[in-house]
Amino acid sequence: MAQVELKKVIKRFGSTEVVHGVDLFIEDDEFIVLVGPSGCGKSTVLRMIAGLESISSGEICINGQSVNEVAPKDRNVAMVFQNYALYPHMSVYENIAFSLKMAKESKSQIKDKVQQAAEILELTPYLQRKPAELSGGQRQRVAMGRAIVRQPAVFLFDEPLSNLDAQLRTQMRMELKKLHLKMKTTTIYVTHDQIEAMTLADRIVILKDGYIQQIGSPIELFERPVNRFVARFIGNPPTNIIPASLHKHDGRTSVRMGTLSLPVVSPPAGADSQQVLVGIRPDIIKTGDGLHSLPDEWQVQAEVIVSEVLGGQSLLEFSAGGTTMIAELEGRVQARPGEMITLGFDLSRLLFFDPRTEEAIY
Amino acid sequence: MRNQDRIKAVLTLSPSIILIGLFVYGFIGNTFWISLTDWGGVAALAVNPVKNYAGFTNYIDLFTGFLGGGFRQDLVNAVYYSVMLLAGAIGVGMFLAVMLDSKPKGEAFFRTVFLYPMSLSFIVSGTIWRWMLSPQGGVNILPEYAGLQPFTFRWLSSTGSILEFNWQNLLEIAIYLVSAVLLIIGLRLFAKTPRQSLLWLIPGIALGLFAWLGGEMLPKALFMEETHGFNKATFGIILATIWQYSGYTMALYLAGFTGISQDLRDAAMLDGATTASYYRHIALPMVKPITISAVIILSHISLKMFDLIFAMTGPDNGQTGHPALNMYLTTFRANDFARGAAIAIILFLIAGTFIIPYLVSSYRQRRGKP
Repeated sequence: MAQVELKKVIKRFGSTEVVHGVDLFIEDDEFIVLVGPSGCGKSTVLRMIAGLESISSGEICINGQSVNEVAPKDRNVAMVFQNYALYPHMSVYENIAFSLKMAKESKSQIKDKVQQAAEILELTPYLQRKPAELSGGQRQRVAMGRAIVRQPAVFLFDEPLSNLDAQLRTQMRMELKKLHLKMKTTTIYVTHDQIEAMTLADRIVILKDGYIQQIGSPIELFERPVNRFVARFIGNPPTNIIPASLHKHDGRTSVRMGTLSLPVVSPPAGADSQQVLVGIRPDIIKTGDGLHSLPDEWQVQAEVIVSEVLGGQSLLEFSAGGTTMIAELEGRVQARPGEMITLGFDLSRLLFFDPRTEEAIY
Repeated sequence: MRNQDRIKAVLTLSPSIILIGLFVYGFIGNTFWISLTDWGGVAALAVNPVKNYAGFTNYIDLFTGFLGGGFRQDLVNAVYYSVMLLAGAIGVGMFLAVMLDSKPKGEAFFRTVFLYPMSLSFIVSGTIWRWMLSPQGGVNILPEYAGLQPFTFRWLSSTGSILEFNWQNLLEIAIYLVSAVLLIIGLRLFAKTPRQSLLWLIPGIALGLFAWLGGEMLPKALFMEETHGFNKATFGIILATIWQYSGYTMALYLAGFTGISQDLRDAAMLDGATTASYYRHIALPMVKPITISAVIILSHISLKMFDLIFAMTGPDNGQTGHPALNMYLTTFRANDFARGAAIAIILFLIAGTFIIPYLVSSYRQRRGKP
């Protein structure tokens, strides 16, 4: 149990600054996910918290104590690495026991703790095996066992699921969530996978090029992204971003994208004919039964470009009024290319961005 | 098509198989045959020398004969030489590798500096070290620069020896050694499989007790007392060889350490390991194959050491002799070809005991067997 605080943390490699003044306060027991594209500095931030990377400027505190000058082993943090970093010459038991051995705990204590951790992670039958004799998922669990056995104040995860296949990843994600609910330990988790971020996090921190873009709960980030980057990064398929202009007439506002004009329910501040970027999440586009809840003027005729059926949902690429978008539709929509189809937009959930700064406008 | 491939393969390989068969294995066989004859003496260099089958007389003479004392001391020298070279070169090499593994400034420069001695010929390094270790110069007068008394140790010409034993008791010593090996294996197994370890411990204890209580009754290897030990004069030679080869072991270890992923080091640091415990528990166990290679390579180098000793103390120094040197002198100076061949075969067998297990294990690993 610990609070972690980053105060204006900067990291430079030589003359290149890769993390530019990160401020972040992580509550007790919170599950924080740092997410962003490759090279955004998320792993560097994690490694600085672990003490594996020095801090060029700023301060990191754990439970109010500055740890800038504290060695990794004395920070009471445990880390799970992307490639697991298991000691290949040691058995599963020895891998899990290593940190306790280093802490000079008694043999019987070590045995109890390792067995307890192995039970939680269902590793008991494999304790005598070497890492090379384990599957990817089992290795992953050993890496977690090694972290939990020490009962650290903070768990750090560096893309722990990215070496697993898709099915196992989903399963391990669930287990991670359950483990966190059980252990109640402050957790900082780095990933580039926004689905992991959405499903695991209490709060998500989105990073890009070493700057924090937004901090918030998954729903907050999904519904109210602060800029175009966050809107595109969170959600799959990504938000359609379309250049448009706002028009005010008789106290009503409409948005014009190409030849398509749609009313705006909650118009953002701005003058008439203002240029904007409109963000349309693929899931706010409806068809079939979904159209019933939408007024007629929120519906348009669209030409199908291509459709993909994903079991219970369908992805549809279409063109309306000269603009191409992607929709994520409920049910199986089997439409031939070139076919005309009626689509409705839940216009209450439109997003607007300034075309110059790409910041959200509300 | 397959048959054609096979014929091509056989044709391609056969020249080297024939040449190696003839010049390596054929000559080993021939040497062994010569070692079983009495080829030597005044008529040894005749056009058609007389060679009579003599059984293992040469071997028996070397180990238990009245005149074999010189060879026996050489053999003892070789054993001490190997053990100290292994300990020294692996120890120093490992230490240097650990130092350079932390990537200090100028790491590449130091790596070259430490590795450089290996590129020298033994004759060159032997000559340099002979000067450095001369009684009234080199290393011995270093303290004078600090206003102290010079060292008086005669590195290459001391006559005393330490760790002496009586060659008469060779059998007893051998039994003690076997007993010690059995006990060590048994004790190591004890923690994992106590029952299996008894299979090693009981014979070990029995042999030890047997040698202790019944040692007096064991047949003596010689009819007279003959003490051998670690000759202090070989110390300088060992020092020079360690100097020449520790850079090599450093390079081996450094390659091994560099191959360990940074994540493992990070994980160990987070697990609470100090630098020392990282090397002790993680890095060194992981580079165990390198340690094994280094042991094999260094031990066979020490077994066939010739030129360095020749350059440092000359061929006729009784204190610093070596079986390889002895083999040369016996064969080509004394023209005792049969006995020289016997020494060669003994060296070959000793080298084999080091190398064959290594070859077998690496062959098995390549075939994917544990």
